Amino acid sequence: MVVLAPLVGAVLTPIVARRDRRVAPWWALGVMSVTSVAAVALMVRVAQEGPFSYYMSGWVPPIGIEFRFDEVSAFIGVVCLVGWLAVLYSFRYIEWLRGLEKPRIPYYYTLLLLNLAGIIGISITGDLFNLFVFLEIVSLSGYALVAVSGERIADMAAFKYLLIGAVSSLLVLLGIGLVYALTGSLNMADVSARLADAPARPLAVAIGAFTVGFMVKAAIFPLHIWLPDAHAIAPSPVSAVLSGLVVKVGIIGMLRIYQIVYGSGAVDMNGLNQVLMWLGAISIVMGAFFAVFQDDIKMMLAYSTISNIGYIVMGLGLASSFGVIGASIHVFNHALIKATLFFGAGALIFRTGKRTLSELAGVGRSMPLTAAAMSIGAISIVGIPPTAGFLCKWYIALGAVQAEQPFFAFALVFGALFIFIYYIRMVNAFYFRPPVDPEILAVKEAPASMLVPILVLAALCLIMGVLGRLPLTFIEPAVTRLLSTAGGG
Amino acid sequence: MKRAAVIVLLVVVAIPLVLAMADLPPYGSPDSPAYTHVGAYYLEHGVEEAGAENIVTDVILNYRGFDTEGEVTVIFTAMAAVLAVLMASRGGGEAGTRPPLTPPSVVVRFVVRVMAPLTLMFAVYVIMNGHITPGGGFQGGTIVGAVFIALTLVLSERDATRLIPNRPERVLQAAAPIVYCLIGLLGLALFDVYLGYPRTEEMGLLRTAMLVTLEIGIGVGGATVIATIFRTMGSDQ
Amino acid sequence: MIEALWQNIDYVASVLLFCIGLYAMITKSNLIKKFIGLNIMETSVFAFIVALGVVEGGDAPIMGVGASPPFINPLPQSLILTGIVVAVSTTALALSLIIRIHKQCGTIEADELREME
Repeated sequence: MVVLAPLVGAVLTPIVARRDRRVAPWWALGVMSVTSVAAVALMVRVAQEGPFSYYMSGWVPPIGIEFRFDEVSAFIGVVCLVGWLAVLYSFRYIEWLRGLEKPRIPYYYTLLLLNLAGIIGISITGDLFNLFVFLEIVSLSGYALVAVSGERIADMAAFKYLLIGAVSSLLVLLGIGLVYALTGSLNMADVSARLADAPARPLAVAIGAFTVGFMVKAAIFPLHIWLPDAHAIAPSPVSAVLSGLVVKVGIIGMLRIYQIVYGSGAVDMNGLNQVLMWLGAISIVMGAFFAVFQDDIKMMLAYSTISNIGYIVMGLGLASSFGVIGASIHVFNHALIKATLFFGAGALIFRTGKRTLSELAGVGRSMPLTAAAMSIGAISIVGIPPTAGFLCKWYIALGAVQAEQPFFAFALVFGALFIFIYYIRMVNAFYFRPPVDPEILAVKEAPASMLVPILVLAALCLIMGVLGRLPLTFIEPAVTRLLSTAGGG
Repeated sequence: MKRAAVIVLLVVVAIPLVLAMADLPPYGSPDSPAYTHVGAYYLEHGVEEAGAENIVTDVILNYRGFDTEGEVTVIFTAMAAVLAVLMASRGGGEAGTRPPLTPPSVVVRFVVRVMAPLTLMFAVYVIMNGHITPGGGFQGGTIVGAVFIALTLVLSERDATRLIPNRPERVLQAAAPIVYCLIGLLGLALFDVYLGYPRTEEMGLLRTAMLVTLEIGIGVGGATVIATIFRTMGSDQ
Repeated sequence: MIEALWQNIDYVASVLLFCIGLYAMITKSNLIKKFIGLNIMETSVFAFIVALGVVEGGDAPIMGVGASPPFINPLPQSLILTGIVVAVSTTALALSLIIRIHKQCGTIEADELREME
């Protein structure tokens, strides 16, 4: 079972990568390629056979650790894609990064690969404690990657992220401890089966602990405060991975918890769902609102991430089939869109040295491809057909109606309006405003290694919009399974 | 004012937790789900199935071996992170004969130098015997790391840097994950599943060999990681 | 209910530790102290998990000479082994960040740092 290639490859990276500095990026690229191939093989298998399991060391759960591949695990496809592109993008970008001294560069790739390996691990594990271990791998490498640029604000942002993140990891661990105390098992499916006998209060506390913990990781209001600084200050390829993939890890954690709890029928999740819906809606509006006022392009994108995660969480909370499907698809799509945007922003910063919209005015003329790609990303994120963002938002809105909560559909539209506003600002700045700094016009288009990822992702935004049906049908069985045990949506 | 707010917050947080604790299966009871389910299985079958008399070792290296692999990856990640954040761009060999920062007294220096080899021996014992007595790879590795730290504090900088040989340094740092992978792949080759172990008594020797190799790998890797982290932090003055 | 609490006093104690750690993290201004608060919280969770495995009159789960049932549950111990390693890793990274912050800003008090932003 070449299942293990992804993780093993990422682990081996560090070793070879440090022999010769120049080799590092290429090796990382190679590792990601192998990983991607393995990931595709896995996804194909899930598509054909449905969910399947792999037992570590051959021990059957609950004795052993189980890897479980279901439709949610298909996330690894996006992980590999964005990851591979991020590595490619890093080739030039990282060399250029001021604060990062040369000998440290291989460690950047080490951390990046570890981060990606961890995300993959979280997506495919069926064991609670294993989840925690991978969560920590992702978190630790994440904290470090934010700080890698060496700037003062970066260290502060990384430290804040670390403190809040460590507490949230701890909450997850506490949840795991409580669940273990109640069921004696760590395997997700097994726990699900045993929860029915568990006393209610500790279980509720456990779910609460998990939720808060994962919510912090996913940056949902009001626990989102670490995100804007961290994502904005990180090097752009890292921002793309953080916004596109790492926050999704929090969502996946919640999804797994949902799977466990719904499966057991032990707890009525209605209260929690209400909370999620509200918090999601607030995140949507608040994230978008703050984004409007940002001048720094990466801060704007960071707040946009908060907003979009709000969509996903709201969709989950709605607990209707459309809502959850929409939310799941958005997990994938947002990763693509945000990566496009962050890569593009990074390219702009790389060439012009400027980060704020006011200073970047007119760049649409000198870096037409990059600006165009970012505009496509902008359109996607607002949710205009035929781009990727449209389908998921539409489904979430339908989900709100389906769950007889039309208010939330309204929140969605309202948020979209704000999103529209700030992205219009961006497009406007690129194309229609006269350049503040005449040098802007003189810069060249982004280098190939950065341009390729940007264009590929932008193209995907469009393609996924047109081919939207495909991921929907893929995800549907998982959602149906999830919700049927919850007593229908 | 802020203090009051924090106290209120803590009370709000603590109350549901404490109440939940009350509802948990009673402390120390042999009927709790934790004890009767998976835990009991490990205790009953651990020795024959997993090969070590120290059941905890059975669990962390065999039944839940992958978690431990993840754990060594975590500490490796921490080391990579520390290096990425703090590594000074020092040219090779510039470590001078600068005396240690706070020159310790003769007594300290003497004691450390005498104790170091003895402690190391103890550490090796802990690592190798991890599957029979309490102990194991990580425990022993930490002791080695501690010895390293103590030595660094008393030796001159040049001698201290010599404690970790330069060429194999990088391999040593990654020793834990690498060894784990190799054993895991060995399991794959021999038993058709990653990290698979022999389950029968006849192959008992192979099984013990695999366990001990893992322990050593973890120990060496862990020690090197600790040493590297300490050194990186210290050299940044 | 009080009786149940008293019986599970070990668990309750870990909750209290957790809160102490949280208090320290929030109220102390010095970064290192905040971080020690985090360490206390981590320790409290580990203590909780280990306590889960205890059995009355249990022996260490090592089947050697002279060992007799009942044995203490080995699973929680392995969990926290990993947990401790994770905590150490986080500590290492946090400390290195603090070192850098100190070098760049000259202070490690959160209030002063906030003014600098």
